Amino acid sequence: MGKPPLSGIRVADFTWVWAGPYCTLQLAYLGAEVIRIETQTRPCVTRMLPPWPDGKFDGVNKSGYFNQYNQGKKSLALNFKHPEAQEAAWRLIKQSDVVINNFAVGVMEKLGFSYDEVRKVKPDIIMVSLSGYGDTGPYREYVAYGPAQVPLSGLSALTGYKGWPPMHSGFSYADPNAGIHGAFAVLTALYHRHKTGEGQYIDMSQWECAMDLLAEGILEYTMNAREPERIGNRDPQMAPHGVFKCLDLPEKINDLTIDQWVAIVCADDPEWGRLAHAIGRPELANDARFKTLAARQANEDELEAIITAWTSKRDVAQVVAALQAAGVAASACADCKYLAEDPHLNARKYFVELNHPEVGVRKHCGIPWRMSGTPCEVKAPAPQLGQHTDSVMSGLLGYSAREIAALRKKGALD
Amino acid sequence: MAAALSDLKVIELGEMVSAPYCGKLLADMGADVIKIERPRVGDRSRTRGPFPKDEVHPEKSGLFLYLNTNKRGVTLDVGRSEGFEIFEKLVAGADILIHNVTPPDMDRIGLSYERLARLNPNLIMTSVLPFGLSGPYRDFRAAELTLWCAGGACVLNGGGAEHPELPPLKTFGHQAGYQGGVHAATATMAAAFGRLRGESGQHVEVSVQESIASQLEMTFEFWPYMGQIATRLGQKPLQPIETMKCKDGYIYLCCIEEHQWRAFVEIMGNPEWANEAIFADRLLRGLNWDALKVFLEEWVGAQTVLDLYRKAQARRVPFAPVSTMGDLLSSENLKARGFFVDITQPLAGTHKYPGAPLKYGATPWEIRLPAPTLGQHNREIFGQRLGMSAAQMDELNRRGII
Repeated sequence: MGKPPLSGIRVADFTWVWAGPYCTLQLAYLGAEVIRIETQTRPCVTRMLPPWPDGKFDGVNKSGYFNQYNQGKKSLALNFKHPEAQEAAWRLIKQSDVVINNFAVGVMEKLGFSYDEVRKVKPDIIMVSLSGYGDTGPYREYVAYGPAQVPLSGLSALTGYKGWPPMHSGFSYADPNAGIHGAFAVLTALYHRHKTGEGQYIDMSQWECAMDLLAEGILEYTMNAREPERIGNRDPQMAPHGVFKCLDLPEKINDLTIDQWVAIVCADDPEWGRLAHAIGRPELANDARFKTLAARQANEDELEAIITAWTSKRDVAQVVAALQAAGVAASACADCKYLAEDPHLNARKYFVELNHPEVGVRKHCGIPWRMSGTPCEVKAPAPQLGQHTDSVMSGLLGYSAREIAALRKKGALD
Repeated sequence: MAAALSDLKVIELGEMVSAPYCGKLLADMGADVIKIERPRVGDRSRTRGPFPKDEVHPEKSGLFLYLNTNKRGVTLDVGRSEGFEIFEKLVAGADILIHNVTPPDMDRIGLSYERLARLNPNLIMTSVLPFGLSGPYRDFRAAELTLWCAGGACVLNGGGAEHPELPPLKTFGHQAGYQGGVHAATATMAAAFGRLRGESGQHVEVSVQESIASQLEMTFEFWPYMGQIATRLGQKPLQPIETMKCKDGYIYLCCIEEHQWRAFVEIMGNPEWANEAIFADRLLRGLNWDALKVFLEEWVGAQTVLDLYRKAQARRVPFAPVSTMGDLLSSENLKARGFFVDITQPLAGTHKYPGAPLKYGATPWEIRLPAPTLGQHNREIFGQRLGMSAAQMDELNRRGII
């Protein structure tokens, strides 16, 4: 077996919130040493957000949000009000292959770590900025928060129930999308550097990166000067194509009834025929109202009502099993409990359950790929704030114990 | 500037979005990608559109034209043994194979890493699969919508607490496919980088379901950390973070920090109602959203989108327009950054397409070739690369193998 693909690669990680940490998470998964530069005075936003094991905020190391996206990284706590902290960061940068941030434009410059300065001490550095609007252009200083990037990108205008206003995607989808594209870019740049010795600067606009996911909408406009119509869960080429109600969870969770849904898609007429049999209505397979795609689309409300009449009396897992057995594409519309208990994901050992000193063993989502020759694994849970300050300072950065104590006393290590 | 990946020879056996997007990410950075399509019919994305003037035509589908830039295209029926042998010859000379042939079809046609690695031990084979190559759902049938649901994203979106009867809502387009593709491209490049540093070839297996489950914000952890379920029905704890109608379109209000709310109140001209105790902080505004919404809808409804967006941004409040496609195409910011690119394909004509996901300082992202027409490069690839004679190719063509 080989070593993880990024073994020996070091990342100076200035990122926070979600887009940047999702990027460096991939690099940590691939075996890079990712060192987060953090501060107690302004901890990462996600360290302050739920979910928390005790139901309320109780310290910066207990957030499931932070602990999910920072697995396997190290935390070095520095307070940049002190020039000595800056010096420590420079020592780290000099020994790093990649520097990443997702601050607003100009923040890295204010901290003293502009690309021009960084390349002076590390000419072949790969430096990545994942900002909301990109480094150039009239809006470069605009403020971007995760939830607003989805409507900005155009995705909201395309998403929604028929006849309804634009909807969101339900989570800040542009953030992880920026992060994963950023990880691809880092790997591409590492590949180039290994061949040529040349580093580079990479400028990402999260807005632009999200637009790469909606070419179908954009091309409807550039080809036909039309805004696409919102069509809910339906599809122009397939019917049925929807999300259907199943029985609620038998037990209440926190006094709430939890509804359950199933996604069903028939790509062609034979699949519709199989679905009709599976739901005990074989006569509908050749019914004139449903026999062809055009007929099913003309009668889609009725079609969906017939399917709902069957699904709504059944448990979602039963529905999925019955339809898959019949050769119809169906999956549960999984919520977090369903995912955590999903027999498939568990059989594949997708989840990571490591012991964290403050939250114990909790399920975290893991690595979405398997590599046969250079296996990837999560070796440590997310770091406590400053957990690796001493080990990084004394090891990699070459400070003596006395120097570290003096810096700590001054407040430079926070 | 030299392209970063110009030394990589890639074979793509991909349909629709996941594997083709993976191939596009590599091709746009310079990799030499040969796309294999089924003879006569081609990639299913050729049927999806949008089509110029709504004329359905396999060479004019926007989704296909977007996803397959910079690739050369051949047709080959890998489901027949003669076709598979030709496929093996192509793979023998390649660095990377990307495919999204589902596990049951892999079994049927005999596609496996072990078999191909015997011909080419240095091969990186990337399998982008709905549920991966193991586990009880290995052979499940899947579609874009079912995967977006299976990964846990769809349940987060919908009509909200006011409309629990409405189903969870799919996000536009082929997001499951795109996420499978970009996660696959990342893992593939990691394998290629490893190989450059002396590792051998290997099999990279990517699960689309897992790629989606990896990016559910903080929602997944509500179960393991708090025993709670995060769904579309939850009330937002903080407000205003909401889409709202203006005179000429929609804007997304986003006041997460208190200073952003205070600035917004000033932009509104400090109305009296904003001083009510029930709106005093972001949590109270969340609790009393029904009341707040009425006031905001009245004021916001009299504004224009761009004007309110600019006023908010001038005070560092992160509002954003709910951009229409027309807004994007006419955006001064996107124009200044040169985001959209013109691509000309002889049959479909010239149109603007989404451009580079990132701007690289040293290695270009560029469109060198439009997407291939069906079988456009058969003679070039089968003739020049594999040394087939014209007569052999004619015969294979006649029998529907190429």
